[in-house]
Amino acid sequence: MDNLLENYLSVIEKNLKPLPISERVDIIKEIKSYIIELGKQDGLSPEEIIEKLGDPKELAKEYLGNMICNDSSFKWSKMRAVLAFYGTTGLSGMFVLPIFTVMAGGFMFCGIIAPIAGLIKAGGYLIGIDVPFVSFKIGSYSLHPLLQLPATLGLGALLYWAGKGSWKIVLKYVNTISNKKRKLDAYIP
Amino acid sequence: MNIDDWKSQIKRGTLEYCILLLIKHRSYYGYEIIEELSKYPIITAKESTIYPLLRRLLKEEYLTSFWQESTEGLPPRKYYTITEKGSVYLECMSNEWENLVNAITILKGE
Repeated sequence: MDNLLENYLSVIEKNLKPLPISERVDIIKEIKSYIIELGKQDGLSPEEIIEKLGDPKELAKEYLGNMICNDSSFKWSKMRAVLAFYGTTGLSGMFVLPIFTVMAGGFMFCGIIAPIAGLIKAGGYLIGIDVPFVSFKIGSYSLHPLLQLPATLGLGALLYWAGKGSWKIVLKYVNTISNKKRKLDAYIP
Repeated sequence: MNIDDWKSQIKRGTLEYCILLLIKHRSYYGYEIIEELSKYPIITAKESTIYPLLRRLLKEEYLTSFWQESTEGLPPRKYYTITEKGSVYLECMSNEWENLVNAITILKGE
C-alpha cells in the first residue's frame, strides 16, 4: 500500500486512542479495505482518495463522538474521549464568552455615553456653565470644552466599533459551537 | 435563505432510516452503501458520516456484521445485515415516516 495512505491510516489510528484496541483494529481494517476498493474499482489515486475522505482527525472524531453518546457506562477511556472532544470547546468557552460578551456590552455602552457627555459639556460651555462632572482629560491636560465634542464623537465611534467587533466574535463563536453540538446531536438516539 | 443547512439537517435525520431500508433487502458493505446513497444527492453522505453511523447501528444491535474474503485480489469486506431488532426499529420508523408524509400532504393542501 502507498506510503501516503499508510500515513493517513496511522493518523486515524492515533486519534482513535480512547477506543479499545479490538475496535480500533476493526475500524482501521474497514477503512483500509474501503481505500483499496476506491483505488481498484474507481481508479482513484492516493491523493484523490485522501481528498475524498477528508481530514483523518475529523474522521476519527466522528467515531469518538459516537462512542461518547451511546455508551452510558463509565470508563476512564471514555472519560478521556469526552475530554478530548469537549476539551477545546469547553475550555475556550470559559474565556471567549465572558470576556467578549462583557467587552461588547461595555464598549458599546461607553461608545454611546461618550458623545452624549461631550455634547453636554460643549452645550454647557456655550450657555456659560462649566459642567463639573464631565471632562476630557489626558493625564493632567484637559481639553477645551468645545473641542471635547468632536473628540468624544471620535472616541465614541471607536469604542462602539470595538464593541460591535467583540459582539461579532461572540456570535461567531456560539455559531461554531452550536454547529458542532448539532453534529454531535445527530448521533444521540 | 439557507437551504443547504436545512438539507443537511434532513440528511442527518433520515440517513439511518435510508441505510436500514437499503440493508433490509440483503447484506451490504460500506463501499456499496456509500455508492448506492450517492445516487441521490439529498442523501449523499461522506465516509466520515456513514462509517461511524454504521458502527453505532452495530452497537445498538440494529445491524450485525461479518468479514468476507473477496476474489480477484480485492481486500476482505465487512458486510452489514439487519437484525430482528433492526427490523422492528425500521418498521417503527416507516410508520413515523408515513405520519410525516401525511401531515405534509395535508399542510400543503393540494
